[in-house]
Amino acid sequence: MQVSMKWLSDYIDLTLSGEELADKYTMAGVPVENVIRADEGLDKVVTGRITEIKPHPDSDHLQICQLDVGPYHEGNLQIVTGAQNVAEGQIVPVAMVGAHLPNGQKIAKGKLRGVPSIGMLCSAGELHMDLTKLTEEEKDGIYILPADTPVGVPAASVLGLDDVVLEFELTANRGDCFSVIGLVREAAVLTGAEPHYPEIACKEDDEAKAADMLKVGIEAQDLCDRFSARIVKNVKIGPSPEWMQQRLEGAGIRAINNVVDVTNFVMIELGQPMHAYDYDRITGHSLTARKAVAGENLHTLDDSSRLAQGGELVIADAEKAAGLAGVMGGLETEITDATTTVVFEAASFNGPSIRRTSRACGLHTEASGRFERGVDVTKTVRALDRACQLLQDMGACTVTQGVLDAYPEPKQPVTIDFSAAQINSRLGTQLAGSEMVEILEKLGFAVETVDAAAESYHVTVPSWRNDCTYWEDLSEEVARIHGFDNIASTTPFGRVMQGRQSERQDFIDRTKHILVDLGMTEELSFSFTSVDMLDKLRVPQDSPLREAIPIMNPFSDEAPLVRTSLLTSIMENALRNLSRKNTDIKLFDIAPVFHPHALPLTELPDEPVKLVGLITGRRDPVGWNQSAEQVDFYDMKGIVEQYLERMHIAKYTVEAGEHFAMHPGKTALFKKGREVIAAVGELHPEVAANFGLKQKVYIFEMDVATLMKYAGKKMHLKSLPKYPAMARDLALIVDQDVAVADIERVIAKNAGKMFQGVTLFDVYSGKQVDEGKKSLAFNLVFQSNDRTLTDEETDAAVQKVLAAVQKQFAAELRA
Amino acid sequence: MEEKIAELKAQAAEAIAKTANNLSDLNDIRVRFLGKKGEFTSILRGMGALAKEDRPKVGKVINEAKAQIEELIAQKNEELKARALEEKIASEHIDVTLPGRQQPLGHLHPLTLTLERIKDIFVHMGFSVEEGPEIERDYFNFEALNLPKDHPARDMQDSFYITDEILMRSQTSPVQARTMQKNDPNTPIRMIAPGRVYRRDEYDATHSPMFTQVEGLVIDKGISLADLKGTLELFLHQIFNENIGVRFRPSFFPFTEPSAEVDISCVMCHGKGCKVCKGTGWLEILGAGMVHPHVLEMSGYDPSVVSGFAFGMGVERIAMLSYGVDDLRLFYDNDLRFLSQF
Repeated sequence: MQVSMKWLSDYIDLTLSGEELADKYTMAGVPVENVIRADEGLDKVVTGRITEIKPHPDSDHLQICQLDVGPYHEGNLQIVTGAQNVAEGQIVPVAMVGAHLPNGQKIAKGKLRGVPSIGMLCSAGELHMDLTKLTEEEKDGIYILPADTPVGVPAASVLGLDDVVLEFELTANRGDCFSVIGLVREAAVLTGAEPHYPEIACKEDDEAKAADMLKVGIEAQDLCDRFSARIVKNVKIGPSPEWMQQRLEGAGIRAINNVVDVTNFVMIELGQPMHAYDYDRITGHSLTARKAVAGENLHTLDDSSRLAQGGELVIADAEKAAGLAGVMGGLETEITDATTTVVFEAASFNGPSIRRTSRACGLHTEASGRFERGVDVTKTVRALDRACQLLQDMGACTVTQGVLDAYPEPKQPVTIDFSAAQINSRLGTQLAGSEMVEILEKLGFAVETVDAAAESYHVTVPSWRNDCTYWEDLSEEVARIHGFDNIASTTPFGRVMQGRQSERQDFIDRTKHILVDLGMTEELSFSFTSVDMLDKLRVPQDSPLREAIPIMNPFSDEAPLVRTSLLTSIMENALRNLSRKNTDIKLFDIAPVFHPHALPLTELPDEPVKLVGLITGRRDPVGWNQSAEQVDFYDMKGIVEQYLERMHIAKYTVEAGEHFAMHPGKTALFKKGREVIAAVGELHPEVAANFGLKQKVYIFEMDVATLMKYAGKKMHLKSLPKYPAMARDLALIVDQDVAVADIERVIAKNAGKMFQGVTLFDVYSGKQVDEGKKSLAFNLVFQSNDRTLTDEETDAAVQKVLAAVQKQFAAELRA
Repeated sequence: MEEKIAELKAQAAEAIAKTANNLSDLNDIRVRFLGKKGEFTSILRGMGALAKEDRPKVGKVINEAKAQIEELIAQKNEELKARALEEKIASEHIDVTLPGRQQPLGHLHPLTLTLERIKDIFVHMGFSVEEGPEIERDYFNFEALNLPKDHPARDMQDSFYITDEILMRSQTSPVQARTMQKNDPNTPIRMIAPGRVYRRDEYDATHSPMFTQVEGLVIDKGISLADLKGTLELFLHQIFNENIGVRFRPSFFPFTEPSAEVDISCVMCHGKGCKVCKGTGWLEILGAGMVHPHVLEMSGYDPSVVSGFAFGMGVERIAMLSYGVDDLRLFYDNDLRFLSQF
């Protein structure tokens, strides 16, 4: 909705500037998005008379003009122009020095080929005039003003460019403000100025009776509350008067002809959408509001053929639908230059139905917007009268006798009871009842005092305020007019409540911090994916990860599914970084994925929170003293191990395993019993190829609920040892394919009660050991809580260990 | 004899002063004069030739001379040690302006950092952090919030639908209804619900099909619009700064009555008007209002007994203003050059 200050001023005396009024509206809940000034940049453009023209001595196309600009410059103002359409005695727009024109041009003193020029003569385009309304001649060269134009006044005022337009961004509840009258009503309350609304009355000056000419009816009573019409005869189609065109233009509506302009004018003025039919083209001379039949052809004003889905509200004549009710009229009954008899329609259609239709057709019109928010059903006849009056005032019609009005269930006014105490308690204010009553009455509510002492009232809601049903709605009226700024700020924290978050939230937050400590960076990614991504990741065809939920209206066809794995997301982010030459990546993502119980969805899906990580590139930051080594499998595994340690998840086993996206020879599964708590591995070479990756990438994947099952809840201190530990190194040569974890298990099992732990500190294969063998160096630690261990007992324990590993792995002690 | 002693002493002093350039030279000098086979030892041996009564006197002279030489050696020793240390230090000089050795650093996402600050402020005010599903029923997302089907306000949020009844939640507000319905009727509530929400918006500098919202809800006896103002002012002053201007504008949301848009004075131009605030000096930062009686009723609360306020904010918006991020897409682009700045 947009409206010019001029139109508002027709009905109220405004002393405020456009900006000031806009601020008042905005702070009262009628938000103004923009204040548009047609004279933007024209404040130093004035009218001037050309008193003398001489040719430029050094140029054959430039001319030197002397101008009289009245009080704006003493004596003549000399301006050099290249325009050829100027002549002595003409009145022209003059941009003075310091002007900053709408096209961005700044006017300064200058010289053209040596001749001083103090300003510029302007063309229509430079003044930002509406070129579509000008003749070719007017568009070309300097814009020549009428000869009777006063000299030395602001050009904007004589060009009609001095209007200010307020562009509203109205909320969905305030249908009443979608009209000049509604906005004037608000302005009156906000500024205290007295409104003077137009007097609406039309003279039925034609003998013909409307009821004899046309039948109107409502078939779909659930979608149409009221259907009213008036008929005018002897219509002379022509342009509407300038003042009406100007106001429509300010409202962003192009003038078409007097009949159409009148319907638009009434819609903007009163908020009641209207439609005009060519009476002679209404088959059977009847109009009925009914539901469309599926497949029915609708030929709308924009000359496009639409097939009804069925159920849309249409206005039909005896044969066919003549228009989509409230959205767009039909082409057949359109007003043309040949029209002589017009049916004006003003109706109240069901908002949700209009909304569905307009969305389905992709047609959002001024009318549909108003019906969606609800129009004042009691005022249809008033709108018809206004339209007839306006056309009659132009001398363009005669008005037939009577109104055709189908209004099966007249609307009863809404009444609300409230007390001042109720509203004060909701707002945290101490307003007197009388202050509230004053506000409501100004807004058009009728208030009866029920009990003056108790400050209780009985309110009748005006017909145009369909947003008010409860006393809480009245509290909003009081608050917004009283001013939100005038309400004190308090806090409700007398009662102490414990603030906390769920264990899972804590776990997720801790996880993020630990991984950041381990050098990983957090990503946040969209929850969308595609079959293509799942294919590239080698997700097996029978995997539940393939059961991704499709979105009916996806954001893009490239990501039509809700993700079932975070790996798709982290791969996308890694690729994006690699493509930007960020080659050293350590990313993690912790977020829910979505697994349906069945498709199509009937119940809500599971939303387990997953944790994935990805590393590639250099291990250390780049630097003169930093290693340039690339990360490997064990970097990723180390991150997982340390993360689990910080989460106090211990006593898991690690074994070689399988994961669809991981290298079959470089995949480790961390397990608690049979349950996998983490999978770590190098990206499967095929996956790497699918994504065009050249460098090695390592990933991990975990599930938060599983991790939480095993995370240590409480920390319990282990007392520090009182006696020294004994350490022994053990270097073993074993076959290449013996797993270290297996050896460590055997060591732990055979090392006796004093055994504290084992650390592998060297792995070697090469010249010093036989082919197919590797050397492993372990450090074993023994300790007692109650005494210092002797060398003998420590050595004995090591011997037992050695015997066991020799037996189980045919290990040899390395010399 | 005594002359010889004096001469020896002078020789020793000179040797110490002039020829001892390092600790081993000094040691040689000590051996030469004071050693078992040194000069003074041989003089002592020659004592036998002296008269018995002269011996103590000469002995004393020798011992004094030896002590003096010892003293000189000790002094020289200190001097040489100090010099050696100086030389060692000088030789060990490094360029301290070379960069230090770096450990790999990880970074929390700026939206996580912002959300942690938001949660922190509210948790300290006694708010609990609640959660709800991201794929949600239309009932919770809209209907229980007083937004029946075909309500024009639904246009404000074009949603991603899975079926006619299930969608990707377009706001975190459904957690309000879920929390109320989980409670016994009229139980006081003080909660926030942070989370991802989805809207079928363009993906541009200020819109994204997925973004992060924080919903808030306070319900108790006697909660008023004044409480809403006070609470949100407190929050905004903490998350931005104490001096920031806060303004409440009446607005419309179907789930609150009265409703307010909350603006802060522009953090870029401090209210003077700039590109960021489109010249108004104000920035829209959150939406709020008194919970609509319908919303309370639909979730089993009695609006004649309790009242409440609700609010909602975009975490991206707050992060953008806090960190001077001018394009929302940067958050979901996950470029490491961006992420590593936080």
